[in-house]
Amino acid sequence: MPTTTKPSGPPTIRMYNVGFGDCFLLSFPYASGGDRHLLIDFGSHPNPKGAPKGFMEAIANDIKARCQGGKLAVVATHRHADHISGFTTNPKGTASGDIIRALKPEVVVQPWTEHPDAARDAHKAPALRLAAVEFHKSLAAMQSYAAALAPSLARLPAFLPGDLRARLGFIGEDAVKNVEAVKNLMTMGKRAPRYVHAGTASGLETFLPGVAIHVLGPPTLEEEPDIGSYAKKSDQYWLRRRQIALGGRGAGRARGADRPLFPGARRRAKGRFPAHAGWFVARLRLAYGDELLGIVTELDDVMNNTSIILLFEVAGQKLLFPGDAQLENWTYALKQYRKLLDGVSVYKVGHHGSLNATPKALWRIMTEGDAAVPTAQFRTLMSTLRDVHGGKQGAPTEVPRGPLVDELRQKSKLTTTLDHADFGKPQVIQI
Amino acid sequence: MARAQDERAREFTIFGQDPAVRDRAGRIVRARIAVPAERLDPGPRGYRVSVVDYDCTHDVLYQPADLDRGGAGRDPYASLGDDRLLRDPGFHAQHVYALVMHTLARFEAALGRHVSWSFEYGHELQVAPHAFQEANAYYSERNQGLLFGYFPGKRSHTIFSCLSHDVVVHETSHALLDGLRDRYTDPSVADQAAFHEGFADIVALLSVFSITSVLEELLRRSAARTARYRADEVWLRKSALFGLAEQMGQELQTQRGRALRNSLDIEPARDLLERDEFQPPHRRGEVLVAAVLSALVRTWAQHLRFLGADQGRRGDARAIHRIAEEGAAAAAHLLTLVIRALDYAPPIDVLFGDYLSAMLTADSEISPQEPRFKFREELLRSFARYGVPPTSDAGAGGLWQPPDADPNIEGKRPLVYERVHFESLRQDRDEVFRFLWENRATLGLYPGTYTRVMSVRPCVRVAPDGFVLRETVAEWEQMMDVRAAELRRLGLRAPKGMPPRTPIRLHGGGTLVFDEFGKLKFNVHKRLMGRGQQRKLDYLWAHGGYRADAAEARTLAPGGYFAELHRQRAL
Repeated sequence: MPTTTKPSGPPTIRMYNVGFGDCFLLSFPYASGGDRHLLIDFGSHPNPKGAPKGFMEAIANDIKARCQGGKLAVVATHRHADHISGFTTNPKGTASGDIIRALKPEVVVQPWTEHPDAARDAHKAPALRLAAVEFHKSLAAMQSYAAALAPSLARLPAFLPGDLRARLGFIGEDAVKNVEAVKNLMTMGKRAPRYVHAGTASGLETFLPGVAIHVLGPPTLEEEPDIGSYAKKSDQYWLRRRQIALGGRGAGRARGADRPLFPGARRRAKGRFPAHAGWFVARLRLAYGDELLGIVTELDDVMNNTSIILLFEVAGQKLLFPGDAQLENWTYALKQYRKLLDGVSVYKVGHHGSLNATPKALWRIMTEGDAAVPTAQFRTLMSTLRDVHGGKQGAPTEVPRGPLVDELRQKSKLTTTLDHADFGKPQVIQI
Repeated sequence: MARAQDERAREFTIFGQDPAVRDRAGRIVRARIAVPAERLDPGPRGYRVSVVDYDCTHDVLYQPADLDRGGAGRDPYASLGDDRLLRDPGFHAQHVYALVMHTLARFEAALGRHVSWSFEYGHELQVAPHAFQEANAYYSERNQGLLFGYFPGKRSHTIFSCLSHDVVVHETSHALLDGLRDRYTDPSVADQAAFHEGFADIVALLSVFSITSVLEELLRRSAARTARYRADEVWLRKSALFGLAEQMGQELQTQRGRALRNSLDIEPARDLLERDEFQPPHRRGEVLVAAVLSALVRTWAQHLRFLGADQGRRGDARAIHRIAEEGAAAAAHLLTLVIRALDYAPPIDVLFGDYLSAMLTADSEISPQEPRFKFREELLRSFARYGVPPTSDAGAGGLWQPPDADPNIEGKRPLVYERVHFESLRQDRDEVFRFLWENRATLGLYPGTYTRVMSVRPCVRVAPDGFVLRETVAEWEQMMDVRAAELRRLGLRAPKGMPPRTPIRLHGGGTLVFDEFGKLKFNVHKRLMGRGQQRKLDYLWAHGGYRADAAEARTLAPGGYFAELHRQRAL
């Protein structure tokens, strides 16, 4: 049988509307042996309003239909729920993750930080090995902190605005460890899972012959110490945060909001503040919201910065899929792979269009670089939903970021789930 | 004869360090500190500080503490037991009030004038002793206040950051420094980023060391381990500095105790600040702390040797008390010196070497003979060991040189005083600007660019021996907005890879120190163009300082600059 050496053209891309999350199916045409399909992320969080029940299963079944007669491989860029919740299984074997599992993916690719023994995989120097172990432990502790957030959010005082609560809730829940999905990803591949970092082989070489695949991120701690900066307090930092979130007690035994700090002390009636204190109390309340947001944002950023960044070169096209990579992750990629990033023709917009995920330097390379493709041929794909992450529309941290969306529309041919109301249905992008 | 009561001051009870530092009997080590007397409203609320005990987590406003009830001069918590103090939010309110006011008073005494907070509207710094249940405490400029968190400890008790002497003084120091040098939080070279944190740590630690009872307790523990001891540099370092690092609250202070310990563990070397390890602001700031504490211990040891009070035996409480008393006095002296140096430091882009020259000059101006503690030589030596030479190398001892001795100014004429009025020069920004204008070439101002006088502050400083020094301190700055492509024309070089259209704001400026007759003594100058500016450009470019999204991200950091910085350091 003749071996397939390269795809007969660029892949067809299906961007499924999952609400807030990512689900991309890249179908590479090969002359023989059927198409090769690469599923990059499959997650949604929170459950989008108005989405029909079982829409994730419907997506999984659609993927199944596309894969008939072909082969599948999976990339899970990082462990946030909005990227991997679709891989969740259930005891009956009917969940979306079960459907994908039944397709028997050839291989599952994940970032080095997911390796059960991240240290051994990534480093040789003892100090860095230790740092990697600490980082790995820290990620686990962060997820345990995230799990503790839910009960503490229920106890937050009423004065905190609803959109702030929603933001805190979203980030916290997004980071909670999805045990079933993680287990499924580790075991569903025919071959042992591949854990990658910047500069390593992608693990997809034999699956996608004739496609040059570059792993631009995440960097290891050796390559970019900054990615560990938020988590540098190691697991102890996050375990203490967890303890604080729980009010100093174990899970499920949180201190109630009605249990005062000083039981015998005299207090003013609720809402009645002396004239001189009113302004400061209002400021304190905002500062408290900021403090909580600051902590969960650290958590969110660390997780996002573990995202795999993949660049595919195929049939004269360059396709860039960066997951949710943020500045610290990009810092390394922009230093090391500047030339590769010039001439990108398809860009999956990072982190659903957030402030920090499409650095201006990256955008300049893609739109003004020596090899930049003309606007009409530069395709950008953005899977997102308004008012879920980063505050309400118009807030400086809104997702998607207004000025970025304007730029995307002006300087590229943007396809976005914002323009596509059908949950569970893909938008098909032919390059 | 009973001492006459000083009605200008009032004493309050505070914890010497924090509830974890206890004496042999298990009692929390306490101290009484003096603050300027005033008529207090419940809160307490005074003329510079207003305590608002609102707890966001529980949405509770505690009854404001009325410290004047029962007599305006009383120390209402002096005779109450430890448990009562820990359980009483009124004591917590008093604790922060007293320490903030005491620190403010120290700054004002050292600088010889009132010191304003950084915000334009209002005179009172707001303080929330139980702001929220989180492991953080920080100064917030946008909220015009200090916010202290509390959180559950590992052993089921609550940790209150407002009850830690060093934490309260540290945050107050940030607030005061921001009022004196608001450009020190601007993006700049590595030293400036480290300076805020390092300076606040130095003031906090010296404030703790200037409490005799704390030092006494630390030394007693060490002295109890041997029959005889010699209070030399090694012993004092181990007993007082390492002792405090060990004793600092077992939980909240883990990180702060660790920071002190980290400082003490830094092996002196001349290339320290070049190493990657010392580039992050926290770590770099620890070098500054290490250099200052090292000078403190050496000076203290030398002083004890000079007095013949450097030997003792186990159980000799008087010897320990003497050593502690001298140590506390040395710490208080050094604390005044490090604060006073701010008036001799440049208004922007401060380097550790600038600060060293500022300390040496400040002390030399007020105390030419160094009658008691001889810090100047030790500071020079200590900073040199940690790789920090004084910026001013033109004269002996690292002192700033008078403006006539500035070798960078070519073909200059003598300073012109004829057209300025001395009285106005002491308080009027326009008059100082006129002086600058008349002498712009001589003082090395960059021609034809925006220049303004930021502040004019008359000072009356008093030395420990009663010597009075009158000075006027004025700060000025220059600014120019350019694109990277224009740098070459200005004698600067765009960093490699910087796009030509990158917008850049260049900053320069200086601190003018006038003597009591209106003659200029020093112009501590950071030039708009020159090597320093080039270093700053290169550093900021290499560290993302001109990345538009980085600036945006910094502005949007939840809670502001210090909230984020201290959150990382709190646990």
